[in-house]
Amino acid sequence: MPLRYVFTELFQGLRRNLSMHLAVVLTLFVSLTLVGLGVLLNQQAAKAEAYWGSQLQITVFLCRDRDDNPSCNGEVTDAQKEAILDVVETNPEVAGHYLESKEEAFEKVKEIFGEEPFSGPNPAADVDSMPEAIWIELVDPRDFEGITSAVIGLDGVSSIRDLRHALAPIYASINVLKWGALGIAGFLVLAAILLVGNTIRLAAVARRREIGIMRLVGASTLYIALPFLLESLVSAIIGVGLAAGALGAFMYFGVHQRISVFIDFLPWIGVDEYLFAVAGIAILGPMLTMLPTLALIRKYVKV
Amino acid sequence: MIRFEKVTKTYPGQGHAALRDVSVDVEKGEFIFLVGSSGSGKSTFLRLVLREYRPTSGRVYVAGKEINRMAGWKVPRLRRQIGTVFQDFRLLPNKTVTENVAFALQVIGKSRGHINRVVPETLELVGLDGKGHRMPDELSGGEQQRVAIARAFVNRPMILIADEPTGNLDPTTSVGIMKLLDRINRTGTTVVMATHDAGIVDQMRKRVIELDHGTVIRDEAQGVYGLPNR
Repeated sequence: MPLRYVFTELFQGLRRNLSMHLAVVLTLFVSLTLVGLGVLLNQQAAKAEAYWGSQLQITVFLCRDRDDNPSCNGEVTDAQKEAILDVVETNPEVAGHYLESKEEAFEKVKEIFGEEPFSGPNPAADVDSMPEAIWIELVDPRDFEGITSAVIGLDGVSSIRDLRHALAPIYASINVLKWGALGIAGFLVLAAILLVGNTIRLAAVARRREIGIMRLVGASTLYIALPFLLESLVSAIIGVGLAAGALGAFMYFGVHQRISVFIDFLPWIGVDEYLFAVAGIAILGPMLTMLPTLALIRKYVKV
Repeated sequence: MIRFEKVTKTYPGQGHAALRDVSVDVEKGEFIFLVGSSGSGKSTFLRLVLREYRPTSGRVYVAGKEINRMAGWKVPRLRRQIGTVFQDFRLLPNKTVTENVAFALQVIGKSRGHINRVVPETLELVGLDGKGHRMPDELSGGEQQRVAIARAFVNRPMILIADEPTGNLDPTTSVGIMKLLDRINRTGTTVVMATHDAGIVDQMRKRVIELDHGTVIRDEAQGVYGLPNR
């Protein structure tokens, strides 16, 4: 099939309908960027959860002398400690545990805050004011309530620290951003589909004489439809390209250069996740323009 | 070449049939006039030949094929064997005469070499040699209709359908167009022409099929437009 006519028509169509095509491209650009952001945030959430989930530990602090918890009657006794460890060891939710001594806890505190506050005549804390603690690693980080409730009431337990509570706000905000992006993207995708429909309708009306003659002289449906499909494809490719660029800029300037520098205790999405998101919008974009085009062609260019 | 077997066509939402129980046989190389008042079914007849519609009942054969059973994707191939001319010419105003004629070949995928050879030949045949570079609005009505005929004939169809081709033209110009259609007919092309032009029909003395309210009321060889007593 000689494609000269098809390409001439394609460029004529793009030029004749430039403002509509720009509207389609811009709407696609913004909606695909948001879809891509949603995909990236989803991967970020999964990545963070996988990381924190694998390292997630519940910390059971044992009573110390003059504990803040009034139910503690002085320092935990060896018998109490045995009883608590027994409960931890026999619990099926526990993958492993580790007993941290007062000395280790004190070293860790000094490591975080430096030596200075703990030296001299009036130190902020000493070894004896540190609680002993049991670090528990869970089989499934989502099942933590069983072990928490089994341990919390035992004699000699002062408090339980659950990192999930600390991480929950981070996960929650990632989730809100993700669904926000996808929700807005949903409306824009709808707008893009309607715009594509209008664009094709205008193009079909502008070309109705040619289409009528082509049908009469026996041009195939594909031949008549090809300029329309290509117009849609061109819009989609430009939209996808712009969105991929915007997502790349977000990844480089936003994630790589800023957020990951400030929040370095989280693992951040990288090139693999970016490519996955771009692949997703590269499939979605042409679908968004080609499907309404095909549907309308059936209506306007039927042989 | 064209055969209608008890063809009835009723448009959706309309009570009466546009064509009712029509049986017609047109041989290869015939020239027939389709006459009748507006709404008598002439256009429906032509559109059934082009497979723009399927009959409600009955069978339509074109070039030996039963086209009401033809798959949709084969319809373009059928239409390449049929040239069509309309009262309103239907030229593309932004293309030259040559481009208008070449368009019909381009869109069915003919090679540029073939197009460059056949289009001037056809323009010469219709009497437009030397006017290929003109735009349609620079031509008279008769010349525009010649362009339309050139476009319909450029692919050497077996059948030429003309829907009131002289309806917009003065009598002198109409005679020229009829001479041209006659010449095309003599190359072996079957011509089916719907018309209201009594003078032309009476002059040409070809086969006349008269439709009235969707039925064939007259089919005579070398007929005239109206019966003497009507």
